[in-house]
Amino acid sequence: MKRFLRGSFLRDNGLSAGFGAMFLAALVGQAFAGQADFNHRQLVEGGSPVTLLQYVTSSDFAVNVAENWQSEYLQFFLYVFATVWLVQRGSPESKPMDQIGTESDKKQKTGRYATEDSPEWVKAGGWRTAVFSRSLGIVMAVIFLLSWTAQSISGLSVYNAELIADLQDPVSWLGYVGSAEFWNRTLQNWQSELLAVGSLAVMSVYLRQRGSPESKPVGTSHAKTEESG
Amino acid sequence: MYWRAVKGRRPPGLPRGPEGNFRWMFRKTLATMCGVVVLGGAAACGTGQRESEASAVAEAFSTAIASGDAAAACAVLSPETAEALAASEGKPCEESLKPEELPSGAVSDVQVWGDRAQARTAGDVLFLVELDEGWKVVAAGCVPQGERPYLCEVGG
Repeated sequence: MKRFLRGSFLRDNGLSAGFGAMFLAALVGQAFAGQADFNHRQLVEGGSPVTLLQYVTSSDFAVNVAENWQSEYLQFFLYVFATVWLVQRGSPESKPMDQIGTESDKKQKTGRYATEDSPEWVKAGGWRTAVFSRSLGIVMAVIFLLSWTAQSISGLSVYNAELIADLQDPVSWLGYVGSAEFWNRTLQNWQSELLAVGSLAVMSVYLRQRGSPESKPVGTSHAKTEESG
Repeated sequence: MYWRAVKGRRPPGLPRGPEGNFRWMFRKTLATMCGVVVLGGAAACGTGQRESEASAVAEAFSTAIASGDAAAACAVLSPETAEALAASEGKPCEESLKPEELPSGAVSDVQVWGDRAQARTAGDVLFLVELDEGWKVVAAGCVPQGERPYLCEVGG
């Protein structure tokens, strides 16, 4: 297997290809399960069942996708951003205690410490370097905000359809983003993401996964921070 | 080495080398973001025509009520509502529905959300559902009850 994959495109891109394939499989599974669930609810509420194509272009599918996307991108944005300033002694997810903050130009290879093979926007200096220095967090934050907005728009449509089905008045977008329904959907996702990140940071102090860059080498002491194996 | 994967599909006009690669990646990221917006925007598309279709059905029901034509009003009721009305009175829908007890008037406002719609006439609030055969009236003669659901003469 190792020999077969050596030097191949799939080996070089195993993480993105593997997770991309699993993402698509899960999304397709969600579409089928979601359609079945939706059609069951339609039957109960006196509506018409929908086809798979109608379902994947519906607000019901969109809100269920978007509410999970926003929380995942928020999780990674916070993780990328918070690990600049917050550390965890003994965790391979953390940097050493004495490197809290954005660190020096020398360590970050910026300014006059930029090297020949540094990215173009690092060598360019000025606003380009400032933006590039934060680009990972910025893109994560922007995707989070777009997904959250998409959740609010598609969620409004689903919520209002349910209100009308229950013989109640629909609400405005502002009314929806201030509603218990919106914040219940949002916070139940946030709490689970934050718990997962926090517990990974703590558990990786005391537990190991041989060969994983998310873990310290198996024999490393619990007190050692920032080392992965 | 992401750029290797997209080599050959690079749009014309982008410079070769790292900067071109970065711009190409930036465009791809932008395309992903647009996808996310489309996800939300899909919910809001195509409601104009459906609003007028729902409005026309609400108007037809209201006109039938105003002219005392119970059969025409029953024809635009949802099957579930018509059956429930007939079952509660022990008579066919046309004989169970009492147009003189229901308010009527021109449709002044319609809101469509998913396969549901709410229409307001001068004297009534109607609730509709979109079925395979088109929009149908689920409830009519509805009076607001504060935070609780409307109380409706038909389909309540």
